[in-house]
Amino acid sequence: MPVQLPPGAAAQIMVPQPAVDVSESENVSATAEFDPPVVRPGEKTFYRVTLDATENSILWPDKIDAPPGLALGPGVHGQISRVEGNKFHPLTSFVCEVTAAAEGHFTITNFTVPAVGHSVEVPAATLDVSAGNPPASVRQLWLEVSRTNLFFGQPFRVRVILPVGPDNRLEALREVQFNGSGYMTDKIVTHQYPGTVNRDGRQKQAWIYETIATPLAAGPLVMTAQGFSAGSDFSGPITISGQAGPVMIAGGPPKYVLLGSEAVRLNVRPLPAEGELPGFTGALGKFEQDKPLLSTNRLRVGEPVHLEYEIRPATNYTRFVPPEAPRSQNWQIIADQPPASGFTFIPLTDEVTNTPAIPFSAFDPAAEKYYDLTIPALPVTVAGDGLPVQLPAWSADDKNPAPLKLSGLAMTPGTSVASLKPLQLQGWFLFLQILPVYGFYLLWQWDKRRRFLEAHPEIVRRRKARRDLRREKVKLQEAVSAGDAGKFVQHAAAAMRIAVAPHFPADAQALVGGDVLSQLDEAGRGGQAGETVRKIFAVADAQFAATPPARADLLALQAAVETTLQKLEEKL
Amino acid sequence: MNWPLDFAKRPGMRRSSAALVMAACLFVVDGRAATDDFYVRGLPAARAGNFPEAASVFENELRHQPSSGVFVDLGITEWQRGHAGAAILAWERAAWIDPYDAQANQNLKFARTVAQVDAPELRWFETASTWLPPSAWVWIAGASLWLAVGALVLPRVFRWRRSGWQQSLAALGFCVFIFSITANVGVVSRTDIGFIVKKNAPLRLTPTSGSELISTLSAGEPVRRVKTRGNYYFIHSSMNAGWVEQDQVGLINE
Repeated sequence: MPVQLPPGAAAQIMVPQPAVDVSESENVSATAEFDPPVVRPGEKTFYRVTLDATENSILWPDKIDAPPGLALGPGVHGQISRVEGNKFHPLTSFVCEVTAAAEGHFTITNFTVPAVGHSVEVPAATLDVSAGNPPASVRQLWLEVSRTNLFFGQPFRVRVILPVGPDNRLEALREVQFNGSGYMTDKIVTHQYPGTVNRDGRQKQAWIYETIATPLAAGPLVMTAQGFSAGSDFSGPITISGQAGPVMIAGGPPKYVLLGSEAVRLNVRPLPAEGELPGFTGALGKFEQDKPLLSTNRLRVGEPVHLEYEIRPATNYTRFVPPEAPRSQNWQIIADQPPASGFTFIPLTDEVTNTPAIPFSAFDPAAEKYYDLTIPALPVTVAGDGLPVQLPAWSADDKNPAPLKLSGLAMTPGTSVASLKPLQLQGWFLFLQILPVYGFYLLWQWDKRRRFLEAHPEIVRRRKARRDLRREKVKLQEAVSAGDAGKFVQHAAAAMRIAVAPHFPADAQALVGGDVLSQLDEAGRGGQAGETVRKIFAVADAQFAATPPARADLLALQAAVETTLQKLEEKL
Repeated sequence: MNWPLDFAKRPGMRRSSAALVMAACLFVVDGRAATDDFYVRGLPAARAGNFPEAASVFENELRHQPSSGVFVDLGITEWQRGHAGAAILAWERAAWIDPYDAQANQNLKFARTVAQVDAPELRWFETASTWLPPSAWVWIAGASLWLAVGALVLPRVFRWRRSGWQQSLAALGFCVFIFSITANVGVVSRTDIGFIVKKNAPLRLTPTSGSELISTLSAGEPVRRVKTRGNYYFIHSSMNAGWVEQDQVGLINE
């Protein structure tokens, strides 16, 4: 009578389960055989030992004594549980690859192994090797991978295939396991199905176990597979007619046989360090990206908005690691829990105008380069939490009431300044104060000089005399140039008077030739200078006479006059 | 530029004094900032309720030339965005430029009532310095000093006849100078006044990010800067003293 499962997971525990057989632990039996037992020299066969005990309880020897000429290769071992009656029985198999180079009859003698605290005798097994034997049909698993040249972390498909035997019996696989290190297989998403495989150009029916593996180490890796052929638990055999010929699925209780596969070698390269783009999380493969969708583009500060993005694999066997939420000063960003793909953004300020871009990139193993999948920024309008602009009216008794509302906008820029920094703290303004100080200093200097000159008028007279003398000299030169002897004499006399006036002191117009002579030294008075002075003043004084003297030769005195004026000027 | 007129209308203000104040203002006011952005983008955006854009335009305007009206408008947009601290700081700066800006003063009173924060406590000479714009005081100080010095020195230099008005002018100049010095000290002292611009600004025991927290300061709360170390100001608030990060505080003259 079929068991009716009560609703509820906890209740399922109460459903009767087959018991685990622990009563026969003292009666562990073992079988040993060569599969196939008849081969030709150089052909491969398997030495299989099966014990009805748990694998952990068996101390299998590291080396088995084999007769000379029989080479033992690598082996596999595994455990499965079989149900007999209403009890679980453990079953453990040790399988070793064997090759005989020469003809002969080889026997691996019986030996004992410790199991469950007892010694269990493994019976002898015999292999017949002869060139006259028909070709051996070795029952072995086939291991197929979608590619052998891989990048670190790149997923690839793995298929473990159990082909039908010579009798076209299709058997299922149980307890499939992969041997080797440096990769990881997906234990959850596996796929088992009967199918057709193409091997050496021939279609063959097979039981296929398919899963995904991911290399976790760079370098050469070796992968093998093993599993128990299990038959199918049908009451009788089932025959299926297909393209690859009729296949019979065996009925009756399953017979578990541990099978191994040939090794597959993988070459795993590390991801290139150069060219890595921002936001690389380990995503591998070719992906396509849709435009992200934002739940709204108008929100307030503190209000969450959800961004949904879709990144689809464009090829098989991709590895998608979702982008990580970046840090942002203006946004709180929360990534959705997988399998959802999106981010929740919470604006912390109204100064933002875009959602933050989410940097993301992936590595394309086919192109062997990184490419950008950044989720772009989307425009948003964030409104701040406005403060009240109007207050309810307070008590009318309040003498200094606060304004009840905010003012309107200023319609003009109003008073402007060059800088908010006051002039008091600006260096140029302090420097500007030097100008009036300097002005007052100049005034003080001017006043001081003026007072000095007032106390020493002779300096002023001499300075004036020198100035007037320069002027008269110019006129004198002009008279000479014009050939005007009369003016020459007048300017010469005037210049001499000016040159000696400060010594008396007196007005220059009031002086006569004798005053000029008195300012010459003794030699000068008796010399040419004195003579020149006398001549000039004689002519100058005679201009008022009734018959003026002849003046034609007076211009010849120019050099003497200049010499005399030089002497007089030196005394100024 | 309304404050000279307002000042002249004060009770007890003589016409001659008002004229003197207005004359002084001619030296300190650079003119009116009136760029197209203010009228074309800033005001329409603020009227339309697009306060972030309006604030951005006003801030850009103020970077080119600070002016009281733009600060008033910036304060209003910041207030509408919920930034009480930034709004109060903007209006304080408007009042710094033009102490008689009616809108700035009205909004400051309103905002402090709503935000429950105090106005900064000013010393007597700082209060005096608020009667005129900061730069007016320094021009008055300079002019009065050199006027007094000139009234004393120039008659002597130019041998003018000494008269009573010269002595009176010198005395008046020195009086104004001495008073304006106190106001100038007040202006300089007020440059250390700042306002908390962010909500719950942490006040720390030491100028380090991992320092112990003394308290938090409200947006718009007035503080007085005492010293600076690295990225921190040591400030006195009405209740506490401690270190606060510079970006949490806006000084009035920055």
